[in-house]
Formats: sequence, structure tokens, C-alpha cells
Amino acid sequence: MTRFDYDDSDVVVVIGSGAGGGTLANELCQRGFKTVVLEAGPHLTGEDYHQDEWAAFGQMAWTDPRTTSGSWGIARDFPNLPAWIVKAVGGTTTHWAGACPRFKPHEFATRTIYGDIDGASLLDWPITLSELEPYYDKAERKMGVTHRHGRPPLPANNNYKVFANGADKLGYRDYATGPYATNAEPYDGRPATVQDGFNFQGDKHGSKWSTLVAELPKAEATGNLDLRPDSQAVQILHGPDGRATGVLYADRNGTLRRQRAAIVSVAGNSIETARLLLLSASTRYPDGLANSSGQVGRNYMRHTTGTVWGQFDKPVRMYRGETMAGVIADESRLDTDRGFAGGYYMETIALGPAFFAKFVAPGSWGPRLTEIVDGYLNTAGMWIVGEDMPQETNRITLSDTVDEHGLPVANVHFDDHPNDLAMRRHGLTQGAAVYKAVGAHRTIETPPYPSTHNLGTCRMSQRPGDGVVDRFGRAHDVPNLFVTDGSVFTTGAAANPTLTIVALAVRQADYIASEYRASGN
Amino acid sequence: MSTLLSDDQRRTLVDVLRAAFPHDTFPTGPYQRAAQAVLDAAAVNPRLQAQLLQGLTDLDRQREVPFSRLDPDIAAVVLRGVAGTPFLTGIVDVAVVALYDDHEVWEVLGYEGPSYDKGGYIDRGFDDLDWLPDPRIESYGSGNGADDRQEASA
Repeated sequence: MTRFDYDDSDVVVVIGSGAGGGTLANELCQRGFKTVVLEAGPHLTGEDYHQDEWAAFGQMAWTDPRTTSGSWGIARDFPNLPAWIVKAVGGTTTHWAGACPRFKPHEFATRTIYGDIDGASLLDWPITLSELEPYYDKAERKMGVTHRHGRPPLPANNNYKVFANGADKLGYRDYATGPYATNAEPYDGRPATVQDGFNFQGDKHGSKWSTLVAELPKAEATGNLDLRPDSQAVQILHGPDGRATGVLYADRNGTLRRQRAAIVSVAGNSIETARLLLLSASTRYPDGLANSSGQVGRNYMRHTTGTVWGQFDKPVRMYRGETMAGVIADESRLDTDRGFAGGYYMETIALGPAFFAKFVAPGSWGPRLTEIVDGYLNTAGMWIVGEDMPQETNRITLSDTVDEHGLPVANVHFDDHPNDLAMRRHGLTQGAAVYKAVGAHRTIETPPYPSTHNLGTCRMSQRPGDGVVDRFGRAHDVPNLFVTDGSVFTTGAAANPTLTIVALAVRQADYIASEYRASGN
Repeated sequence: MSTLLSDDQRRTLVDVLRAAFPHDTFPTGPYQRAAQAVLDAAAVNPRLQAQLLQGLTDLDRQREVPFSRLDPDIAAVVLRGVAGTPFLTGIVDVAVVALYDDHEVWEVLGYEGPSYDKGGYIDRGFDDLDWLPDPRIESYGSGNGADDRQEASA
């Protein structure tokens, strides 16, 4: 294991090892950059993971305190768990299910296409789909995405059979078992899936792409990676010229360490990234680092989501096989005649009885809950995921509550926009129609889970006053500070964000390599 | 872990769980273990333990006879009367996790649980649903799905 000196000021420090940070680290290591990755959580691997929902949740999830406010259901149902993300090496790529749709062209220009929507802080991205397409290609090849570049599709599991037959009967055409970043056949040194499920619980088999099994081992093989688990970043330091000079972090013993740096990348997922920049306030940057625009923490998006379950007279056994392995894309189209702007995807989802009972009707008990759970075996499930409207007041701020290090935790404030509510209603109705088309005797609508897609809190903008980072994810205010996660999304699109985060990270690595000489050589 | 709850109150808690999560098919064991999970949580959470002590005492005074001797229908009515109280919410929050994570419950529900040690479900029925036709898995309009860009760039 490579170790760089704390005072080595030539290194790149990447904070976070998930989709953005883990990918950027590998791309920079491949280009000869000495790279230190600070990961707040432990280094878990396949053998450590539990195929047990609550045990895995306790092992992997970011359960440090956070607070919530706003009218969203999460503040009522899960007041101290606004997000369902991972604190471990690999970040939330160890939890994601692998869905890989690309953005559509109009989703980079929503302010122009959707127009001025009351209460929404829509802004066009400073890049277009055509600029990102080569990087989507690279990301899809890197991740082994099914249905793309010669990678075969996943087979139909039981949950998909119900979903696809319902879709077809309803007249939907754009359904398939992918694209997913899970191997249907061996690829890139990783095995084909054995349909063991538990994708949300780390994926013991390693057939699902994650930075844990793909990017970080490759980075390590270069000798340029210094991966430091159990290292919680507490502040980004800067010099008198305003440039970042290093990162303070608490190591596994709680000892404060200072790692000097030539370049700093923040990739802590959208809540923690904004929190760290706000925590890094100084005399020079009184409102937080990279925050002269006042946009750090604002425009927080979490996708418009919901779950629909169909219960049938015959067994489905949705838990057998990949947790998610089916997409209906018909409703992801640009079509404002439905009463809302933006589109959404329907994607198969399966939960075990433990999570099913907890999340199907949060806080519920009595026959209303138990009748649903009694039908578990005959249940099929789908998740709705669509574009939500950015709002300036949906926002990460520092809370009065502090963590184990005495640092203020993040407060996540979110109010649903009327557009979000209209889309959710449409999605839940259409989802129920899919299941009724193949004979569901009961359909159940489940409100949003704690957010897995956290976006927008350091948004990319052409003009420095409109956002936090430029078209390459570089902070408008701090030339050697980058943001490398979903925080940079100017708007959220309907697509699951990981593929786009990875594509942007590869593009950012190209940019960094063109601007800075690798000091390791 | 210490508890101030009497043996009677601990038995009442099991009956509360049975009334709160009524499944005809569940044996007693999972309810007992879920009750123990509530007690374990209360042992390190004075607020929850206080709620249990007071709340279980109050429940027994709702009708002529103690809660445990009520008909199931009446017990359900009594529980609905305390819906939303910190007492019942505290119990439900812990119990819903413990009860449905119980392997005996999984068996009753037909859930097979961890699969990796058995080679996954690839040869154990991940695609055995036979009451619907086998659907297309490729994208619409895709010849072989090998490199379908239509959906991505449409």
C-alpha cells in the first residue's frame, strides 16, 4: 500500500471514494498523479457484506446524525435519515442497483426548454449532451453496462416478467432489462451475476460495478493511490492567495491530521460535500469555501420518487435475482402535456420482508400493514424516479446538532414543488396501471425512501454568480478546488445519476491532466 | 441490561405486539423475540423504558380486565385508542424492524433470504414465474441489443 507524506504538497487529495471520487482517483492515478483518497467509512469487502437487510444497513449506511426540515414526507417519516447513502470505501456505488440511463439532450437545457416555472431555479447546464457523449461511451465501457457496446442484456427475472408484461399490455414499448452496470457475462475481470440479489447490500459476488471492485483496485495497482479509510474530512484549508492548500481530517482514532495538497477534489455526495464547504468558512471566505455566489448547499434535488407494488394471486418471488433489472422508459420523454415538466423512469425493485414491512407504509401497523405483508410472496415492485425541480430554498445548511467530532451536522430542508407532486401522482397511477394490466388484485403506493440520489448543492454554471463550479467541476472561486459528485448537477434529469457522475469524473480527470503536470513522474 | 418492567408487563408487551401486528400464520416465537428487542432498546433508552412502564400500566386500565385478557377485536380497538402516542410509536418503531427480520417469519412468508452460500438464485428459480409469457428483454426496435443507442439518445 502506497503512503504519501502528510507534508507532500504535490498530491491530489480526493475526499470520498464513491462514483465520483473513486473514478477520479483511478483516472488520475492512471495518468501518474499521486493521489490520496480520504474515505470517512471503513474498508469493507465482499466477504464482510451481509445478505441481511438490517445487518447490512447497520454495517454500510451513513447513520451519523443529520436533521431535516420542510414539507417533504421524509421529515416526518425519517427525520434523522434524510439520505440512504453509504459510509464505506466505494461509497454509495456499493449500494446502488446499477441503472445506467443517459441524460437526454433537453435535460441539459431545462430553463430554455421548460421555461420559467414558478418557484423553480432552473438553469441550463454549461455543457451539452454532445460534449458528454464521448465520456458516456467511456463510462459505459468502464462499467460494463448491459445493452451497450456489445454487452449482453440481463435475463428476465420474475419481477421483470410481471413488469414487462404489464408494460406491454398498457401499450408501453420502451422497456428492457437494462441498461444496468451488472455483468450478465464475465467482464473486466469480474464474474457474471449468479442472481443472488442483495445489490443494495454490497453485492458479495462483485458482478456489479462499484469503485470498490473496479476503480480503486486499478488505481492501487499503479502505485499512485494512497487510500485512507476511516478518515473524516473536517476542513479544507486555503492559503493567503485563496488557493486550497490541504485538508484536515480526523483519522480512525479521532486524531486530527493535515494532508497538504496541490489539488483538492470534494466528492462526499451532495449533502456532505456542501456541509464540508460550509464548514471550511474562514475570514477570507466567511460564507464557506467556494461560496461567493451563495449557492453552496442550495438547489438540493433528490429526484421525484415513489414505489408501486402489485399483489397477485400467484407467486412472484421478486427477491430472487438482481434487485433491479428492468426499465420502462416511455415516460422519460419530453412531453409537458402530462401536466408537469420533466420525465420519469419506472424500474423494477425488490425488497426483503424486513425492508418491505418497514418502508411499504412508514409508521404503519395493524391490519393495514399486516395484510400487505401477508401478500409478500405474490408481490412485484417498481420504483419511480424522475426529474425534480431545483429550488433555491431546498438547501443544506449547518445544524445546531453536532457529530462525534463536535462538527455541526447537515440539516436538509426540502419542500416538494407542485411539479414534483404532479409527476409523482402520474407515476404512481401509471405504475399501478402496469400491474393491474396483468391482474393485480391490490396495488400499493409507497412514499419516497430516504434519498439515494442527492444532487445539485454545488451546481455547475456558466456564470460564477449562478453556481459553484464551472463546466469542468472546478470551483469558480478557488482554482485548485474541484467538486466530483452529483452536487455539480445543474438540474437533475430523470436518469439515475451514477453514469453521469462517472462520465463527468472521467472528463474532469482529462481536464486536470491538461491543466496540471503529474508531479509523480 | 436492567428493566423495571414486571414479568406480567413483559407478557403484556408480547400481546401488544400480537395485536399491533396481527398475522394468523405467525407462531408466538417471533412476537416474543420482537418484545425482547423492544426491552433491549428500552434498557439503554430511559425515555422508551418510561413510556413502556407507564403505557403498559395504562393499557391494563382501559377495560374491566387486563389487556392480555381482552378479545382480539377489543384489544385492537384499545390499541387504536393509543395510536400516535410516544408509547405505541416507540414500540412499533423497534418491533417492525425485529419482527420482520425474524427468520421464522421469513419462513412463514415464503422468503428464502441469503442466497450466496447456495450459489445465488441462478439455478434456484430466479426466472421460474410461469403464469405470464416470457417477455422481450431487448430494447424496443433493437435488432440484437448489442449496441442500442436509440433509447439513450432519443
